[in-house]
Amino acid sequence: MSEILTADKHQHLRAIEALYCGHHGWLYATLKRKLGNAMDAADLAQDTFTRILASQVTVIDQPRAYLSCVAKGILVNWYQRKALERAYLEALASVPIQEVPSPEAHFVVLETLHEIDAMLDALPSLVKRTFLLSQINGLKYQDIAEQLGVSLITVKRYMKQAFVQCLMLVE
Amino acid sequence: MLSLRKEPPLAPEVLEEAAEWLMRLSENDLSDHERAEWERWKISSPERDRAWARAQLLQSKLGGLPPSLAMSALDRPSHPERRAALGKLALMLAVMPVGWGSWKLAQTQQWTADYRTRVGERRELTLADGSRITLNTDSAIDVRYDRQQRLVHLREGEILVQTAQDPSRPFLVSTRQGRMQALGTRFTVRELSGRTHLAVLEGAVKVMLAENTQTAPLIVNAGQRTDFSAQTFGTLTATDRNVGAWTRGMLMADKMRLADFVAELTRYRRGFVRYDPAIADLRISGAFPISDPQRTLNMLVQTYPVLVSGHLNGYWVTLSPA
Repeated sequence: MSEILTADKHQHLRAIEALYCGHHGWLYATLKRKLGNAMDAADLAQDTFTRILASQVTVIDQPRAYLSCVAKGILVNWYQRKALERAYLEALASVPIQEVPSPEAHFVVLETLHEIDAMLDALPSLVKRTFLLSQINGLKYQDIAEQLGVSLITVKRYMKQAFVQCLMLVE
Repeated sequence: MLSLRKEPPLAPEVLEEAAEWLMRLSENDLSDHERAEWERWKISSPERDRAWARAQLLQSKLGGLPPSLAMSALDRPSHPERRAALGKLALMLAVMPVGWGSWKLAQTQQWTADYRTRVGERRELTLADGSRITLNTDSAIDVRYDRQQRLVHLREGEILVQTAQDPSRPFLVSTRQGRMQALGTRFTVRELSGRTHLAVLEGAVKVMLAENTQTAPLIVNAGQRTDFSAQTFGTLTATDRNVGAWTRGMLMADKMRLADFVAELTRYRRGFVRYDPAIADLRISGAFPISDPQRTLNMLVQTYPVLVSGHLNGYWVTLSPA
């Protein structure tokens, strides 16, 4: 059993090595063109290979299509994270001073925000908004219904949908 | 280091049950009876126990966040591509007669804007670089600052901009009709029925049209105003003294047609204001406290031969000749 695993592992590393030598330059150049920024492109190319390393892939038939696919996932995630961080930093300027986290807490808050953001991402925007109004702003369901112009039943349905989604993904 | 995810997935029914308990807990205090029921539920199977462990983890994550920061960060507009698609849709609708469709879209767009004001509300913001923006009633903007530029997108309504100096990053205001680059400055921008109205109070603003890159950019200097569609510029005229009076909650009318006066007034109040066509051309002058529509209507009645009648608690107001 362990021998097979080792053999697979070996093949996995060889496949990635070939992928890296043959296509890292191409991926980097593509990302750089897309982002217009060499540093971000280098980071993202690195993240792409890190993610492939963590996978168990051993045979790669169409290397560039495969790389594009993985890189795209990372890029979407990266854009989302950037947008979150930007919104967070903009918000920092306008919140009451007692709500500004200490410098050490910033990192934890941002990480948690990112996790929650990712959990809620697949939900329709109204469901997400309902959930945030309840769980972040602490509004009662009836108040949310009035604010969003939907029925109380709808708010409850949205809340359940959002909670199930979060429970499925939380870790 | 296998992650916790490797544990067998939980059945959807169990997750739904846990979700229902979370809802009950977040909405009400449980009675003793319900609390006992909840305790029994938790220990009735290992799966429920695991589901509840996740629920607690979720609660601790949500509970540890500073509310207004978390709300601003999480309730931001969705992906840029999605937003671009929405923008295109809005443009298509903008050329159609105003009806339910575009009204509804405008509403949903406002929901997702970075900063917005409700009808009758006015709000002042200071952005990260010290630039200041005042939003007039029923307005919405997105703020996109990065290393190359400071971009404010006016989705709806009217703003007054007072830019802070930053030689390395231009300050831009975009609307569906074009882009305005501030050249060290104070100016107002309003989007109204498919046109952007720009009035410059200090400095100068360079305007580029959204759909006509052949036309050279237009420089609008202090004391000048213009309007433009996505394809063409309107005429350049002198601003009157009253530009930006709205930032103090005032409407300065100078021989304004009653029809136009009513159009202004309806921006600041919910509901409908109708007028008898016979008085549409009545000329109104004076300083009105526009952010207080009721007082404005009272003043109108006292000074001009106009009668006001209201229905539905003032939701529906009719102006007729006295």
